Amino acid sequence: MLLFRSEETVDHWCQAHRVPRRPLITLGQLWQLAVIWYANRLTAESRRPAADEMASVFAAVGLEGPFWDPQADTWRSAI
Amino acid sequence: MSLDLDTSVKLAIYTTIAETAAAPTAVAVAQRIGAAPQQVEAAFTRLYEKRLLVPEPGHPSRIRMAPPFSGVPTAFPVETRGKRYYANCAWDALGIPAALHEDAVIPAADAFTGERLTLEVKAGRAVPQECVIHFAVPAARWWEDIIYT
Repeated sequence: MLLFRSEETVDHWCQAHRVPRRPLITLGQLWQLAVIWYANRLTAESRRPAADEMASVFAAVGLEGPFWDPQADTWRSAI
Repeated sequence: MSLDLDTSVKLAIYTTIAETAAAPTAVAVAQRIGAAPQQVEAAFTRLYEKRLLVPEPGHPSRIRMAPPFSGVPTAFPVETRGKRYYANCAWDALGIPAALHEDAVIPAADAFTGERLTLEVKAGRAVPQECVIHFAVPAARWWEDIIYT
């Protein structure tokens, strides 16, 4: 995932790379994800969230739908 | 507390990176925990299967990614603790100060224009900045090519 100054530069990047524009998230949402994902990464207990846990994490920061579902196979038609 | 080998390897990797800002090799991890390099390399593979580590393609004794840390320089440097770490992506760039529980400065850039776009974490939160983050790959496919993702 990449960082951009604005939606306009996202669009330019997508055109240049011939890829569809996909969801954007805010810096605040990204920080929430970073804390949930990594705050205990240096501990013995740390692990990557399971698929159902990932979906809950995304929903908790307002990211819902097939794109954010780690088990989705319908994301192509949904976007 | 007695730790299993994979957990000992994982902790050695992350502790080394946190201390030095550089990813250790399997040999260095083996020396640190008193195991055989072959055992550590096998643990690297198991940690990859758990999605906690990405060995360097073609070099299974080296680490490309120990998320949020990158084993190689990237476009996402993270400055904290007087060191320069590297993250794998925008998410991981914030993940490093989250994992280290430190303030940090991230001298990144707009991925299209190259304009400097510095992020900062201060007092346990991301300082507001005019920017957006674009996810090009859906969650179900992140690990099909995690280095691209």
